[in-house]
Amino acid sequence: MRDRYWVKLSLAAVLAAIVFLVGKYTSVIWILGEPHVLLQQVINGLSLGAMYALLAIGFTLVYGIMELINFAHFNVFMIGSFLGMWALEFLGLSGQSRVLTGLALCGTLAFAFAVAMLGSGVLGVAIERIALRPLRGIPGTTGMITTIGVSYILFNIILLSAGADAKNYPNPMPNLQWQVAGAVVDLREVLIWGISLILMAGLQLFVSRTRLGKAMRATAQDSEAARMMGIDVDRVIATAFFLGSALAGAAALIFGLYYNYTSFLIGYTAGLRAFTAAVLGGIGSITGAMVGGVIIGLIETLGGQLIAVRWTDVIIFSILVLVLVYAPTGLFGRAAPTKS
Amino acid sequence: MTDQAEEKAVAIGPPAAPVGWGLPALRGMATARMGWIGIAGVLLAALLFPPLIHNDGDIDAAANALSFAALALGLNIVVGFAGLLDLGYAAFFAIGAYTYGALASWQLHPAWSGFWEPFAFLDLVARVQGTGGDVVHFQVSFWLMMPIAAAIAAFFGVLFGAPTLRLRGDYLAIVTLGFGEIVPIVARNWPSLTNGAQGLNGVLPPRFFGYSFGISATPYYYVGLALIAFLMFTSQRLKTSRVGRAWMAIREDEIAAMAMGVDRVRYKLLAFAIGAAFAGTTGTLYVAKLQTATPEMFMFPVSVMILVMIVFGGMSNVWGVVVGALILQILQSWVLQDLSGWVNALGRLTGVEWLQRVQLASSIELIFGLILVVMMLYRRQGLIPATRRVAALSLEQQSAQVTRGGFETLGELGALEKRAGSDPLLDISDLTVRFGGLVALGSVALRVPAHSVLAVIGPNGSGKSTLFNAVTGLVPADAGSICFAGVEIAGEPPHVVLERGIARTFQNLRLFPNLTVLENVLIGMHARLQTGPVGALLRPPRTRHEEREARERAMEILSIFGNRLLPRADHAVSSLSYANRRRCEIARALASQPKLLLLDEPTAGMNPAETLELAEQIRSLHRLGLSIVLIEHKLDVVVNLADTVIVLDHGEKIAEGSPAEVRRDDEVIRAYLGRSAAYSSA
Amino acid sequence: MPTRRAIIVQLPAAAFTGALIARAAMAADKSVTIGINVPLTGSDAETAALIRDGAMIAVEDADAQGGVAGYKIEVTVLDDGTATAGQYDPAQAATNARKLVADKAVVAAIGPQMSGSGKAMAPILSQGNLATITPSSTNPDITDPKFAAQFRPAGKAIYFRTVTTDAYQGPNMANYFAQTLKIKNVYILDDSGAYGVGMADAFEAQAKKIGLTVLGHDQLDPREADYTTILTKIKSLNPDALYFGGTSLAGIKLVKQSYDVLPKVVKGGGDGVYSAALLKGAGYPAIEGWYATIAAPYIADNPDVAPWVKRFEAKYGHGPTSYSFTAYDAALVILDAIKRVAESGKPVNRDTVRDAIQSANVKTLQGAVSFDENGDIKDRTVSVFRYQHNDKYPVDDVLHQYKYLGVAPQTA
Repeated sequence: MRDRYWVKLSLAAVLAAIVFLVGKYTSVIWILGEPHVLLQQVINGLSLGAMYALLAIGFTLVYGIMELINFAHFNVFMIGSFLGMWALEFLGLSGQSRVLTGLALCGTLAFAFAVAMLGSGVLGVAIERIALRPLRGIPGTTGMITTIGVSYILFNIILLSAGADAKNYPNPMPNLQWQVAGAVVDLREVLIWGISLILMAGLQLFVSRTRLGKAMRATAQDSEAARMMGIDVDRVIATAFFLGSALAGAAALIFGLYYNYTSFLIGYTAGLRAFTAAVLGGIGSITGAMVGGVIIGLIETLGGQLIAVRWTDVIIFSILVLVLVYAPTGLFGRAAPTKS
Repeated sequence: MTDQAEEKAVAIGPPAAPVGWGLPALRGMATARMGWIGIAGVLLAALLFPPLIHNDGDIDAAANALSFAALALGLNIVVGFAGLLDLGYAAFFAIGAYTYGALASWQLHPAWSGFWEPFAFLDLVARVQGTGGDVVHFQVSFWLMMPIAAAIAAFFGVLFGAPTLRLRGDYLAIVTLGFGEIVPIVARNWPSLTNGAQGLNGVLPPRFFGYSFGISATPYYYVGLALIAFLMFTSQRLKTSRVGRAWMAIREDEIAAMAMGVDRVRYKLLAFAIGAAFAGTTGTLYVAKLQTATPEMFMFPVSVMILVMIVFGGMSNVWGVVVGALILQILQSWVLQDLSGWVNALGRLTGVEWLQRVQLASSIELIFGLILVVMMLYRRQGLIPATRRVAALSLEQQSAQVTRGGFETLGELGALEKRAGSDPLLDISDLTVRFGGLVALGSVALRVPAHSVLAVIGPNGSGKSTLFNAVTGLVPADAGSICFAGVEIAGEPPHVVLERGIARTFQNLRLFPNLTVLENVLIGMHARLQTGPVGALLRPPRTRHEEREARERAMEILSIFGNRLLPRADHAVSSLSYANRRRCEIARALASQPKLLLLDEPTAGMNPAETLELAEQIRSLHRLGLSIVLIEHKLDVVVNLADTVIVLDHGEKIAEGSPAEVRRDDEVIRAYLGRSAAYSSA
Repeated sequence: MPTRRAIIVQLPAAAFTGALIARAAMAADKSVTIGINVPLTGSDAETAALIRDGAMIAVEDADAQGGVAGYKIEVTVLDDGTATAGQYDPAQAATNARKLVADKAVVAAIGPQMSGSGKAMAPILSQGNLATITPSSTNPDITDPKFAAQFRPAGKAIYFRTVTTDAYQGPNMANYFAQTLKIKNVYILDDSGAYGVGMADAFEAQAKKIGLTVLGHDQLDPREADYTTILTKIKSLNPDALYFGGTSLAGIKLVKQSYDVLPKVVKGGGDGVYSAALLKGAGYPAIEGWYATIAAPYIADNPDVAPWVKRFEAKYGHGPTSYSFTAYDAALVILDAIKRVAESGKPVNRDTVRDAIQSANVKTLQGAVSFDENGDIKDRTVSVFRYQHNDKYPVDDVLHQYKYLGVAPQTA
């Protein structure tokens, strides 16, 4: 009981500090007078949020079933973007050489998405099979430490082979823009939202309607019981890794098309934001990952606008720490990551 | 000597870890394999390294390696001993470094005023001429700063550790990772304190009786060597003390540790603080040598590198950690660089362009990743594991006959309080425990008179273990009162409940699997011993005496189970048979000198002969003055042992009385056997 | 087991001994060694390689002609970047400095690339009286007499530069913005690295002095991908110009994204923008119109430059960066110093070479190079360029795509 007293006291102190800092250092009043800027930042935030959501779902799928924080997920994302780049280069595109429209564009993108998603998915399954399956069932942080190792291996394979410099991403999309109430919406943003919504809807359908999806949900709730009911837990876990990694691959291709670049570093910041999104949304919950992703995206852009971009990392980390300490179930989660 | 004592003298060798000064203590530092000569050889080589090598660059690399070994020792305390995975350890390194940087450089220069006079008198600051008036120049001595930086880092260790106390392993890691990232960002964005990204200017080198360390790396090397020796000594002393045992208990099974009297808040914070202190001191040394510091020196990859070092070397083994750190540093700054040089030369010879330019040092992180994965998959205990080899048991020691009649004497335990009076020892009224919507216990009331045996029976799921959890504080009570020896204990943390005199065993066995039988029992004694970290480090006579007595008492407790546990005192409990593990758990509970013993299905998994033996042992405990509450499914045991029986069903008490009464009770029969059985026996 | 561990301990010892022997064997009877210390590991690796390449051309030219005054020139290349730091590591730089000082054959060094390394190296080099010439370290503190006790405790200057410092590059650009381009207000960004922060802070300080309004100063994270947030914010403030202090890691992304969000704003940066890597990464049309400065006089006036660039490209397969020139010039100064010492009959060691460097006056790609008593280059010219796309040349050809506009107004 004394424990709870300290928790409440510290929470009050933290909230007071936040209110003070917001009042002193942000330009909240100013921005209310410039709605188009606000709108633009919201649009930016939603695009970022969609990417984070896709990435966060991967974390959450694996965690929900195995209670394992998969550090390697960030770098599967990074490799996915290289796979997409190589797919586009294979088709003859490079830099800003050609702009395609219509069927050619759709076909090219479909090919690139297929390569990125399949490649990432297979990579994810391989990681699970080689590095994690032998450790299944061992309590504690052994699995997580292994994923840190895998993460380093992936990161360095790309660094040593492809070099440290940023690579130019082929950009076959036409540069269309629309004006919306003083803010600018790009074709690329529409692409992001569209694809993200399709993928997320697809995932939801899969999880709620198909047998394998139901098996996944059952395993997430109680893996022992699921095994006894005849569910092939190995297959379920492999599916979770495949789906999560494939979504990361899609997010990675979107990333490359949006920013026109990729490098060995992109896993790091995007991964951190996505992880915070998954935790904020409630780790283990797919809806939570989606909502969390959007929220983090918005916090990033609005925080940068209202305070300063240099503090974004600190803000995100603080959210992560605060959620884990005071509200570990997040918004939609069920399991509490504390000891009883 | 009694038979038992003789047996004891023959069956066991020297105690698992020595307690005294001098040679035995040093021997305790070496693993069984290295031996005394090995240590002397290593020490000599280390001392002679600078004069022999005479290349300042290599001495510098060696001094850096020693710094990282010191960091590895510090992380070992947090991760290896206490089992808290800290992924942000570099933050404390940074804090130590910038603390020294702030107080021993030109970075801070407030305006001079009278306030600074006493400090100038103590030579901590100097008055210098600045633009527009005199300013303060901080020049606190390096030797003074080492402990100060350690203390400040320890403070931050507590600060960063406090939010993680209730978190599970992987979440704790993430939160510490968060703090580990925030510190360098703050350092970068606080240029007035740290000069931001551009790095500190003018960090002062240490002075030793007028001789300034200057640029040569050799004095730093020797300071580093002394620091490592001190930190290894401290680590080893802590490890084999009450504090170390408490940490390892938390690492192995936090809940059982709490139930055995370990205050997990205090010990977790202590682990963070001491681990951080190691890093703070090392940060001071590192920065004093480098004479500058930039925030990029303290980021996540550094934390991971230190983690790789201890995973590689052998977590919780002091020598292993140091060796792992040194090997990886040598690899990084020596072997790979030289290998690159050869490959480049080969490239120039053969004219292959790529070979001429390759830099193998860049691949060190790939190697780190491979080490982590390979070690976790194939050799989790590291290069030099922490476990000790134990001698095989003789045939005689392996065989154990079932003995009847319980035990006659419990040595120290025999002096149990003989309370007279009619006040119940344990008085529970209206106890309610809810888990979400489920009512696990509903208004349960019971009384345990002093020196009696109460049995709690009931179908599975009826709340029996929850009752124990509520009494011992592992689960909060939503309503009701629990009164022990006249004091209200509902709401008190488990370690306080243990201190008051209630000890328990667990239904599913919660021993500390990687610790020995003796260590498990010693942890049971945790609450009755006094030694803290200072005592553990210094080993004054009082501590040594206490440790010796504790071991003797532990041996006595083990000996009450005859040949079963004594020969295995130095074996890890994971190697024991199921029945022996149950006995070990009871021994551990007894070690805490309880007044009330809660046994949760103690005979589960035992054959009838063993069951009978244990039942009689429990009866003799009762005769010697202990009060016992027993959860049992074997009704014959209940009938033989219990004075009173209460029956729980779906969280409610449905019957209470003597065993004979309860056996005939309709409600009880219905709960156990179903409605039709109740009718048929009516 | 002891044997296994013994092997692990003996192996590096053997490797080290072997390396020493190999090095000794490779040395000719009359030779001197020049050390090159650049961060070949991590995010600055590309530029570091280009610096090394620029210096190596000079050394290889000299050796092809039989050495300098009869001395063969050997080169020791050391890497002060570590994978753990992900870039230059001051601790590794300090170790490398000690290695160079301990190696008696080394008479001078080129490097470091980054000032953070320089701060760690300078005291060690001073103690060993080993001169180094840096082609790119621009933090003024290291040669500032105010910090002489810290960075040259032995008294003599040992940290020479073939670039001028941040004390001039950033502020002169501020002057240029205000006086020549008639900019009224500017928003400043840096890339949170030591170089970028130094440039941006110096620019800001000067801007405030001369009345150029600074609308804000924020920091980019080079690891991060998305700068649209800050660019949107800047757009809403309506600045005349944007100034960027930093290198290509953040620069590439900034150039690309600001092209989308702030097409009409005047944009400029320091010599981090005058880089082939940035041009290649950002590409045309994003880079069009960007201003860049270099801390050296305009070099293309020098007829030797174009053929030199051709030689560089032929040898290494890609174009030089601005620091390749300064590294080449640094090498030329050292070679000239060795020649003068040898010809004067004095023994060629680091003391004599240092003195010769101090008194150098050498014709190089950037004109005549000589140093003041602190080690700074005497010529404080900051040249201003602007990207104007030339179809005839590849995008990353700094020499032809950046049009020379003139000298930036000198800060008083």
